[in-house]
Amino acid sequence: MNVAETILVFAGVPLAIILLLAALIFLPGGRRRTRYKSGQPWEHAPVWYEPHPEHGPAAGHGNPGHGETKAIGSSLYGEPTGDGHAGSSVHGAHAAAPRPAVPAGPLGGARGTW
Amino acid sequence: MTRALEVESHDTATAQTAPARTEEGGPAHDSIFSWHELARLDEALTMSSRETGLRFTLYIGDLGKRTRVRAEELHSMSGANPSEAVLIAVSPGQKVVEVVTGAAAARRLPDRACALAVLSMTGSFAAGDLVGGIVNGLRQMSDQAGHPAANRPTY
Repeated sequence: MNVAETILVFAGVPLAIILLLAALIFLPGGRRRTRYKSGQPWEHAPVWYEPHPEHGPAAGHGNPGHGETKAIGSSLYGEPTGDGHAGSSVHGAHAAAPRPAVPAGPLGGARGTW
Repeated sequence: MTRALEVESHDTATAQTAPARTEEGGPAHDSIFSWHELARLDEALTMSSRETGLRFTLYIGDLGKRTRVRAEELHSMSGANPSEAVLIAVSPGQKVVEVVTGAAAARRLPDRACALAVLSMTGSFAAGDLVGGIVNGLRQMSDQAGHPAANRPTY
């Protein structure tokens, strides 16, 4: 193996691999998602996540108006609300139909800022 | 050519089953948080609700000027029985977190425990970990509320 071959193998090949990876990472066309990162201003519509109903993940599936998932969409799957407008109500607590406010007694809780 | 990942969805509905969620349209659910973060939130909410029998819900969004009033208003809408509901309302824009407990929930989850959970949450939030803080706060609150005998698994 002469000098030119040595350079080609031990410098050229790693360089080619690095360039290939750099091109894959930095060329446009990859994922362009603006996910929320803590510290950024919140510019999304409000979201309201609720636990899954007790009877398995499919309890409210495709069956609007059933169960107690009337508030806002369930966390991962965006359960349809009672009004049947599944898509729009996942994001947007204000869009929820005004429920009759049930008196919950003296409320407790805590407040914090950071 | 067969692709490794089928991106196009097909009509998967049958007589017995509903179509896949991806076909129902609407906004992508992972536009704010990644699927991984959503799964963590989902598990934390569901498991703490099941273990304690309380209903934990999580609101993330703007709370307006009077954050406490808005949070209590949301709490009253948070389910069929708000007395047993616990609302965690986080407003990342205003850097405020409010925890609201109904009367029955407050008996098992006193304000002092909520304040402790809020403290741990704000610590994580200030460090830039929104989801981790919420998950830890939920864990702390469900630990404090404990398991009613009816919710304990029977082996």
